[in-house]
Amino acid sequence: MSERRPYRRPVNPKWWWAPGAYRAYTLRELTGVGIALYGVVLFAGLISLSRGPDHWEGFVQFLRSPASIVLHVILLVVVAYHVKTWFEILPKTQPKIIVNGKQVPAQTITSYATLVAVACSAALVLFTFLVAR
Amino acid sequence: MSNAVSTKHAAAEKRSISPLFWLPFGAGGMLAALFGPGLILVTGILGPSSSGFMERFASYDHVLAFARNPIGKLIVLAVIALFFWHGAERIFLTLKDMKAGPVPNLKFATYGVAALVTLVTFVVLLGIGF
Repeated sequence: MSERRPYRRPVNPKWWWAPGAYRAYTLRELTGVGIALYGVVLFAGLISLSRGPDHWEGFVQFLRSPASIVLHVILLVVVAYHVKTWFEILPKTQPKIIVNGKQVPAQTITSYATLVAVACSAALVLFTFLVAR
Repeated sequence: MSNAVSTKHAAAEKRSISPLFWLPFGAGGMLAALFGPGLILVTGILGPSSSGFMERFASYDHVLAFARNPIGKLIVLAVIALFFWHGAERIFLTLKDMKAGPVPNLKFATYGVAALVTLVTFVVLLGIGF
């Protein structure tokens, strides 16, 4: 009677924090927490709005608090890292682009897409502040 | 031939529903990449710290009017729901890779929260009126 005893290579339980590719992967995936957290802030704002002017005023006071400003600066850094990594992945997830019979290099796609993203965010900030003047 | 048909059938039955979650993940990721920094700057940093901005731009009446506009509603729903679905997908897959717990529990804590927030956002936006 023979029993199968396959060899299982031991896995470091902390593999996800091992320096190099694994840690980069974990940091990239953790940006999802930041984006969801910003969703929580917006969701809290919507709930405050639906509960009337006093609750909305409370939400605005929260946004003005130093704790909230610090939180949003951290979120900005996290989302900026998301922008960087998101467009590094983009060339791997979309069909090849051929221009003049040559494949457009991944780095070119990443650079242009990142530029477009910066332009979108800058346009949003400019538009809002022009409207609010 | 019947063999081929049954194999095809089995493949169809085994098909994963994962792609259903990739669409909101991708849409949320793209939305966050294109407009996330701008949104955070306006609502969280530049807006609250520049004098008079919140009074002019984020007064109760202005924001309520935005949330009552059908296009405004769509924007609010899209941003909140897609940001949650994007986060849920990444957190779920990472916790699964870390073997942080049984997969159904992880799904409940990630996709479940995103689904609940989407539903509540939808209901609240309708309740705010038009």
